[in-house]
Amino acid sequence: MISARLRRSLKREFRQSRMAQVGALILVVIFITTAFAPFFAPHDPTEQRIGTGTTEDMSYLPPPVFSTTENVTVFEDGERVTREVTTQGNWSFVLGTDRHGRDILSRILYGGRVSLSVGLVGAALAALIGVPWGLAAGFAGGRVDDTLMRWADVMLAFPSLVLAIALVGIFRGTPFHTRAIGDPFVWAANSDFVPNILIPRAGHVAEMPESMTFPVTVTIVVALVNTVWFARVARGEAISVREEDYIKAARSMGTGKLTILRKHVLPNSMTPIIVLATIQVAAIILLESALSYLGFSGISLSWGQDIQRGQSDLRRGWWMATMPGLAIVAAVVAVNLVGDWLRDALDPSIEGEGGV
Amino acid sequence: MATKTATSDVIPWDKIDMLLRHRTGRVLLAAITALLVYVVLSGTGIGPEETSTRIILSMVVGCLLWAHLVYGAWLVKRELQGLFVIWGVVTVVFFLRFLTPGDPTIALTPPDASTDVREQLARRLGLDEPLYVQYADYIWNLVTLDMGRSLRTQVPVMDLILIRLPATIELAVAATLVAMVIAIPLGVISARRRHKPADYSATLFSLVGISTPNFWLGIMLILYVAVTVDFLPTGGRSIGFAAAWGGLLMEGDFDGISRWFAQLILPAITLGTFFTALLTRLTRSGMLEEIGKAYFKACQAKGLPETIILYKHVLRNTLIPIITVLGLQLGTLIGGAVITEFVFAWPGLGRFLINSIHSRDWMVIQGIIIIIGIGFVVINIAVDAAYAYLDPRVELR
Repeated sequence: MISARLRRSLKREFRQSRMAQVGALILVVIFITTAFAPFFAPHDPTEQRIGTGTTEDMSYLPPPVFSTTENVTVFEDGERVTREVTTQGNWSFVLGTDRHGRDILSRILYGGRVSLSVGLVGAALAALIGVPWGLAAGFAGGRVDDTLMRWADVMLAFPSLVLAIALVGIFRGTPFHTRAIGDPFVWAANSDFVPNILIPRAGHVAEMPESMTFPVTVTIVVALVNTVWFARVARGEAISVREEDYIKAARSMGTGKLTILRKHVLPNSMTPIIVLATIQVAAIILLESALSYLGFSGISLSWGQDIQRGQSDLRRGWWMATMPGLAIVAAVVAVNLVGDWLRDALDPSIEGEGGV
Repeated sequence: MATKTATSDVIPWDKIDMLLRHRTGRVLLAAITALLVYVVLSGTGIGPEETSTRIILSMVVGCLLWAHLVYGAWLVKRELQGLFVIWGVVTVVFFLRFLTPGDPTIALTPPDASTDVREQLARRLGLDEPLYVQYADYIWNLVTLDMGRSLRTQVPVMDLILIRLPATIELAVAATLVAMVIAIPLGVISARRRHKPADYSATLFSLVGISTPNFWLGIMLILYVAVTVDFLPTGGRSIGFAAAWGGLLMEGDFDGISRWFAQLILPAITLGTFFTALLTRLTRSGMLEEIGKAYFKACQAKGLPETIILYKHVLRNTLIPIITVLGLQLGTLIGGAVITEFVFAWPGLGRFLINSIHSRDWMVIQGIIIIIGIGFVVINIAVDAAYAYLDPRVELR
């Protein structure tokens, strides 16, 4: 599937293109910091510091260097006094805190876990459904092709966001809407089986949340609505390969249709599908964040949800809505840059969302 | 044969045929028909009551007639295909409702209502009928332009949609205009100065543009622009298109039009940025491809000014792939409109859709999705027709 020539072409393109290097670097950094979020997150992303009990009030802290001033009216010695209160950023909270005093940087790292895993799983799922669909349609041709592709037209007539909203709205009530997935690092740090010397910052990791919530319905839905792009590309590839001599040769030797599809058509259609899958990861991350922004994903710790909460606190500070959005832009830019690199190196003619 | 000779004495068929072969003749015929429809509508008093709706209706009839005169059998074929797609959308949406967990009558009645009351309600809404009867009823009602009533407010869904549709169309058109006005010159400049700073900044802009979630962009515009610039509101739609332009044209009222512009500009930028970025990319790569072709050299050798070569000859050829991709990306535009409306409290269909999903008003959800599907089909047919207009070699079959 990946020949030596392809590998050389990938390497050459990577060396020449500064953009590809930047994209790969950002992506690697985001991958490592989010996959190992318990090690990198400075605080527990769900821990609240609102000044009750023994904790200090840490809500609405701006990022360090910045400060906010506001007029606070207090009741003092029997009369109202209005004072100007200046809140100074704290280096312990590098990107500031939200209204409950939760650390925004930690929330971004944990939210990135959700976004990236939804993006990867969703794109993989979409390819798993869409590629056989398209290959079958393109290879069979005729009436099969017509029937399968008319359904693709129907699916295209639903804008993906609208369809996703409708589907999520339907399945919101089902028990498999979200799923808690245990964090292996936190489990290891808390258990007696794994010696704590093996884990860096074990004490810190042990205090992190034990599980993350994964939006199951949203993942399935974003995969379903993007399936049709894979089907289109795979169909185009299958049609272009169908009349090649080696397919005819295989057929004349009595090879079954499924075997031809698997052994000859699929490997030769792989490159545009890989490029499309990369671009789809970016599209799915954007779609997921939009769904969580609208409150349909059912999870509270994600980039989209944090932006939505930040929007309702716009008057209290700019950083709460700005920071998670910058994270989305960075992640999607990185994925798109890597996609551009793959496309330039493999150079297929490709259609589909963002496939320019 | 005999009847034909008989009528040709009265009606000059050959002259009409000649008229219809001519471009101006078709337009003239369509305009006359539109005028006739308007006169009949206002004379007999049937149909919509407002004058503006009547005007729009008669214009739509005229445009449809013109399109059929020009595109003929091809358009009919595409319309049939489109009807099939719309039927698919209707069917999918109708059966999706029955996947929804929970009985709609439970959501509509107070929690302490008896089963008797619920059964009565189910009978009134037709929910006790077998599924195929409900399906046939729904399709038949759709054919007669009846989408049922909202489960929550009991207002006909068609009315609810029609009062919100203009706001959405206005936003989508404005965003497309913003995208075209910025992106096409930017793409041309970028291709012309390849590997120069202008090209790099345009490429960077388009990369960031396609990677920015538009709801976040909207919030950022509210936070950093609308709050600092007094003139711009942070959301809402206080004046419609017709009121603003009507005020300007009839009464010379500049206040309305400036309010209209101010409320529209930030949502239009929010929705249009993705398309601006996409169009810039497409224009740039398309131009670069066309510049390599022989006719570009021929134009240069002929001594044509570069601006004319680029904008008149090269751009026209670049527009064809651009239009194809834009047609495919229409869904993104509509989905983006939904979320932009939500951010800016824009009273259109998208915000209505989200609110209806939150209140589980299935009749409204169905109606909005079907209307969006119809819009999608219609615009796609228009895109294909534009294809043939731009490239005379393309034959519509």
